[in-house]
Amino acid sequence: MNKIIFLLTTGIVAAIIFFVPPIKGLGELAKIIFFHVPTAWVSVVAFFSSAFFASKFLRTNNFSFDELSARAAKLGFVFVLLSTISGAIFSKLTWGAYWNWDPRQTTIFVLILIYGAYLTLRAAITDEKIRAKVSAVYSLLSVLTVPFLVFVIPRMYFSLHPSPISSSGVEMDSEVVIVLVAAVVDATLIFVRLMRR
Amino acid sequence: MKLFGSRCDCVLAIVRKDFLLNLRRRATFAAMMMFALTTVASLSLSTGGAILDEKFLAAILWVVIFFAATAGLSGTFDDEAQAGTLSTLKLYGDAQAILFGKMFVSMLSLLALTIFILPIFCVLFDVNVEKIFLLLATILFGLIGLAAAGTLTAALTTSAKIKGGLFAILLFPVTLPIFLPAIRLTEISFTSAQVDSSLLVVIGAFDTILILASSILYDYL
Repeated sequence: MNKIIFLLTTGIVAAIIFFVPPIKGLGELAKIIFFHVPTAWVSVVAFFSSAFFASKFLRTNNFSFDELSARAAKLGFVFVLLSTISGAIFSKLTWGAYWNWDPRQTTIFVLILIYGAYLTLRAAITDEKIRAKVSAVYSLLSVLTVPFLVFVIPRMYFSLHPSPISSSGVEMDSEVVIVLVAAVVDATLIFVRLMRR
Repeated sequence: MKLFGSRCDCVLAIVRKDFLLNLRRRATFAAMMMFALTTVASLSLSTGGAILDEKFLAAILWVVIFFAATAGLSGTFDDEAQAGTLSTLKLYGDAQAILFGKMFVSMLSLLALTIFILPIFCVLFDVNVEKIFLLLATILFGLIGLAAAGTLTAALTTSAKIKGGLFAILLFPVTLPIFLPAIRLTEISFTSAQVDSSLLVVIGAFDTILILASSILYDYL
């Protein structure tokens, strides 16, 4: 798996530098999306993985699921920070400001808060059994915010965030789409590899 | 039916116990009220009577309610945790009766807090409430969700080494789906803008989800 990840990552970096044309209307610097989109994707995958393992722990009382839930949350926290920083840079390049509480920015910020709260909760409880139970419950409770973040926030606030998929189809060059999909797959593989560490 | 009746009796007994304890030891309740008063007064004083935007006023109101609530609700299970009587209480009633009893007491505390702070807020910031029923409905719906999430969060933090800060950190992200529509509706209630009742439905739906989720998840604690 390590070799596949190494080859894929090298191939993607080379493709971004040498083959992918500048993003339509956004220029060369906006190629940061090849880092931003995959990290954002993995932070969401990690969030659901953490909740999934939390539910498995509550059903089975098997502590290895608690460990997996915590690991997914820790990795998710790192990925969500990377995604937020790269997103803020993208935002500055395209809209002129690092932060403007766009719906996507709000969603990612809530994710940071949830990950931060989950990890703080774990750090605040010393008893292993109680820590596992309590953090699993919080992980599942925080998942309830997802429908709101996905369906309600975008209705409440105007978004400047580019939407690559519209009613008329995908509005990106095919090279960009291929490399972006490859980068998402690569980031997901890195996450899976780190989970199996 | 008999089971439901006995569970209701348990809930009422827990409400009565916590209510009497709160009356006897008024420190937590007084701290919550004074926290809200101090925050509203300091904000009003620092803005020096300036005319503030309705959106900003609505946000101030909910921020004050949230942080005052954290001061009051974080210790919901502290008495039982310190005395080690929570498991005994679970033998008397079941876990659900304890949860709903505590939730009801939390709701009463939050209602008392709002009845106390809302008139003071309106006077100090010279707020003109255009739609009083919308404001009351928004506050009621908002407090239900806050009480539901707050009670479960308080149960989560009973074993934690740090409590005060942790409670707010845990509660804020899960109650955000209530606060954002509530702030928007409160802003509308301060102006003559058209009411977006779908936002009230959103808060009501999320309240229901929070109550159900708390009920399911509390059994695992």
